Amino acid sequence: MIKEKLEQIRKDAEAALADAGVNVEALRIKYLGKKGELTAVLRGMGNLTPEERPVIGQLANKVRAEIEQMLQKKKEEAEAAAFGVSPDFDYSLPGVAPRSGGLHPITQMCYDLNDAFRSMGFEIFGGPEITSEYYAFDNLNFPPNHPARESMDTYWIEGHDTGSASDKLCLRPHLTGDSVRYMQTHKPPYRFVYPGRVYRNETTDSHHERAFFQYEALVVDKEFTFTAGKVMIKSILSKVFGKDVPVRMRAGFFPFVEPGFEIDMGCQICGGKGCSVCKHVGWIEIMPGGTPHPNVLRAAGLDPDEYTGFYVNVGLDRLVMMRYGIDDVRLFHSTDLKFLKQFC
Amino acid sequence: MKLSLNWIKDFVDLPAELDLKRLAYDLTMSTVEVEGMEELARRYDGIIVGVIGEVLPHPNADKLRICRVDIGGETKDIVCGGSNLEGGMKVVVATPGAFVRWHGEGEPVEIKNAKLRGVESFGMICASVEVGMDGLFPAAEEHEIMDLSSLDVAAGTPLAEALGLDDYILEIDNKSMTNRPDLWGHYGIARELAALYDLPLKPIPAYVPETEVPFDIRILDTERCPRYIGSRIEGLCVKDAPFEMRSRLWKVGLRPINALVDVTNYVMLAVGQPTHVFDADMIKGHIEVRRAKDGETLGLLNDKELKLTPDDLVIADAEEAVALAGVMGGAKDSVLPDTKDVILEVANFDAKGVRRTAIRYDNRTESSARYEKAIDPERCDQALSLAMKIFKELYPNMKVTAFTDCYREHLERKEIDVPLEWLDRRLGMRIPKEIVERKLGTMGFEVTYTDDEMHVVVPTWRSTGDVGIKADIMEEVARMYGYDNFEATTITASFEGAINQLDEDLVRKVKEYLALRCDMQEIFTYPWMSEEFVKATLPSTDGVLALSTPPSPEEKYLRSSMIPNICRAIVKNEHNYDSFGIFEEAKVFLDRDYTSVYPNEELPRQERRLGFAVAGSPEKAEELFRQAKGIVGSMPRYTHQEPFTFERIEKPYWSDDAAWLNICLGGKKIGDLGLISRKAAQGCGIKVLTAALAEIDLDSLVPFRSRTNRYEHIPEFPENTFDISFLVDGSVKWDEMKSAILGKKTEGSLLKDVVFVDEYRGRQIPDGKKSVTVRLVIGSSEKTLTGAEIESVADSVMRKITHVMGAEVRSK
Repeated sequence: MIKEKLEQIRKDAEAALADAGVNVEALRIKYLGKKGELTAVLRGMGNLTPEERPVIGQLANKVRAEIEQMLQKKKEEAEAAAFGVSPDFDYSLPGVAPRSGGLHPITQMCYDLNDAFRSMGFEIFGGPEITSEYYAFDNLNFPPNHPARESMDTYWIEGHDTGSASDKLCLRPHLTGDSVRYMQTHKPPYRFVYPGRVYRNETTDSHHERAFFQYEALVVDKEFTFTAGKVMIKSILSKVFGKDVPVRMRAGFFPFVEPGFEIDMGCQICGGKGCSVCKHVGWIEIMPGGTPHPNVLRAAGLDPDEYTGFYVNVGLDRLVMMRYGIDDVRLFHSTDLKFLKQFC
Repeated sequence: MKLSLNWIKDFVDLPAELDLKRLAYDLTMSTVEVEGMEELARRYDGIIVGVIGEVLPHPNADKLRICRVDIGGETKDIVCGGSNLEGGMKVVVATPGAFVRWHGEGEPVEIKNAKLRGVESFGMICASVEVGMDGLFPAAEEHEIMDLSSLDVAAGTPLAEALGLDDYILEIDNKSMTNRPDLWGHYGIARELAALYDLPLKPIPAYVPETEVPFDIRILDTERCPRYIGSRIEGLCVKDAPFEMRSRLWKVGLRPINALVDVTNYVMLAVGQPTHVFDADMIKGHIEVRRAKDGETLGLLNDKELKLTPDDLVIADAEEAVALAGVMGGAKDSVLPDTKDVILEVANFDAKGVRRTAIRYDNRTESSARYEKAIDPERCDQALSLAMKIFKELYPNMKVTAFTDCYREHLERKEIDVPLEWLDRRLGMRIPKEIVERKLGTMGFEVTYTDDEMHVVVPTWRSTGDVGIKADIMEEVARMYGYDNFEATTITASFEGAINQLDEDLVRKVKEYLALRCDMQEIFTYPWMSEEFVKATLPSTDGVLALSTPPSPEEKYLRSSMIPNICRAIVKNEHNYDSFGIFEEAKVFLDRDYTSVYPNEELPRQERRLGFAVAGSPEKAEELFRQAKGIVGSMPRYTHQEPFTFERIEKPYWSDDAAWLNICLGGKKIGDLGLISRKAAQGCGIKVLTAALAEIDLDSLVPFRSRTNRYEHIPEFPENTFDISFLVDGSVKWDEMKSAILGKKTEGSLLKDVVFVDEYRGRQIPDGKKSVTVRLVIGSSEKTLTGAEIESVADSVMRKITHVMGAEVRSK
């Protein structure tokens, strides 16, 4: 009787497992669990004769083992079948790319430099893009008839293009005017950067744009020799190029600095040996810089005998072009996503 | 500017062992940028002097002939089409391997042995244009070859040697010396080299006038003409200048013309001071320097006919203007083929005036370029002296018959006191006195010392604006000592606390949020807007600023809204992508609210704004709107700033009538969001896609000082969701439904939230109605809810909504 029951449980389990899906846990409980059928049968063993007991006991163990084996087999089959993936699954299909927006490559460079300068304790500052002639030129020691003031170089605003330097308004042709604004409204010593867009009325080609992005930094303090400026420059370049870059400062003239420098870096294309990019001299002109002209410090309300400092002015467009090998500056303002998405 | 090294050596003896690469480097580091240094002879490698023996006819061509040419020790046959070939003629032979320019055009080409119409030719007999010497040996007609017969050289002599071209040409970047009027000639550069290498500079002795007879000169505007020297020289004639002189002019890029004109150019290139000669016969009476009369006409040497203004300074005789002062001579009175007597002009003109005139007539010359830099009047002495010396060499019988030097107010030399302690501090080191004195001395500065100060008298040629303050002297010392010789010093500063710029950080967070979380690409556009986009998207151009000289007539308006340029960018990309998101952060400029933040200026309102677009298929217009709304709505949360609200206050001009919202902060409108209207899209030429646009004033955002959101306990007991579809009136808004469903939130309420699932209009839904599916989130913080408890919450919601909003439950 009990023997038949055990046999029946085995058969039922076999049938149930054949029909079962992936999850066989319920069946395990049904047949082998504490309240399961097999356990229930074994509880009835007390009614058996001592002779029957080992025989039935043996049989019960065999049935349990068989069911467990069936369960295990089913589990393995289920695991192997996974999520219905075909054995021919093409693992070489392209991955589904994550969504890809991005910052403009110039913004990225600007942020890289912001991070570098922040780490050196510089503040970030921004001024107005429409400026008076006073801040664009007069404060910066540009003589009254400097060619850059003329319309061929500067975008003057209609209805604001005559009168005194305070009355005349233009799109800022450079950032340097903002340095005076900052100094007028803060207390020395100064250590700040002021990145931004500037505009020049030029004929455009692959290396000339009407709108471009500059990055200026200025330190003003009581004790500051122009040779410390080299440290600032090296900081910028090592950030941009990820390694130490040779730098030289040579004589250069800009109205707002004295002494003024043209700052060259070792050509990254040929490593300084000379190539077409660096016109075979091994150096590339990357930024002007120098000690603020006494008249500029005066415009900012400082005594030039007491304070001195160092400017650098980087054309970010040019640095970004070098970073990626971009050959046409006009692409930056093209709004062409085929270009911009390359820098995500 | 090109310079000949040999010419420089006229004024300073450079040591023979000086490495020229080093010279170029040193000059670049200390003074001007040397862009190139060319060994002139290298241009003529493989090009030699040949002597033609026999000239034989070519068997297969009428125009070609075969020349037997002695090329030094051997004779070669060269086929040539020259029109002036003759036996005994000395010619230029480009041997195989040399480079020449065919007919003077295109890139240099390498000469190879070749057969010309079946006859072997060894190299080529050249025309002057083919070796770049047409300036020096002009051909009378096209097929003429270059004739060197006048030279006393043997066959086979390299051309460079035969013509004395063992020279180096330095190319200086003009931009690097706009502030240095003293450098625009060989003498100025020689002075710098003398100072660099501690060599003596050769002086140019002053000219001693040889006549007492005055020349009648009247300067009517001494401000514009501080000095004018006029001398009448007789007994000259028009002839070629000596080869050496012509060669020097040619080497630095000037075309030799005739001896009289060449002398003036030669002097200018030597000392940087322009001079001019007039035909004395053409000058009536005296010479006067005056402003032009309004409308006065003058025909220039280059055949331009000018109508002058009173701002132009002219040289005139008793009758009329004869030259545009400092810019160019007149056609009528300058050197003519039969000129015998001349008036030599050596004068100084005001820089700004010359510049204005040269620009006014678009007539900038070598002369005006130099005057524009502000030449010192003392330079006239050098130019006069050199010119007279050369005239005498070329015309031993000439006579100066009248001479006047009008120079009333002498240029004042600048004087500067430089405290030595200051100098040391700014240089970061002490440079020995002897070095300072020697370097400055060679450059013409007079230096005297007191105990703690250096007194410097600046030479005239640096006193016209270039040097004036002690920082200038420090620069002179530093650059001549050599910038390479200063060690880089570290920057030290006191620590005064961390930099905390919340506004600056917020803008960056917003941009990074849009780019990195919202799948949008940042773009840059120009600050001006194109007219068609302005018309399509802005109500008017009132209050919009414009440029006086815009990049093009259609692009004169300055950005007053982000929308026009964003739309332009959509047009640029809509053919390449099915959908995309773009954003831009930039300034807008508004012709109002002029304020004075900084002294001495009042500026119009300039706001830092953000504009963005999500563009996609027109079928998904509503989805695009919701996408854009989601981007704006989630922005405050992800970028840690005060949250926005959406209101309907004022429809943006460019938006669809139904799909728009204003973005508000603290009750103030700070931006717009909307689907672009069909009309605006058409006006912009957006043809394929449609877009939801947004514009936000970034200056209005309020960053959190730190994170403010609070941690909430994770629910201990499971929360359940329960979906219900309601049939409601088509005009019912989600905001209304949501607040109706949630009611007043009370502590311990089992209805935790309600979420929008979807909305449906169409089949099975009566006209004017829509089906809205909502998901209720139901749970308790105290226990696991039973099915009956959940149902009861849902039932009360359903009752409430059917009661309050007249909704019907479609399914649950």
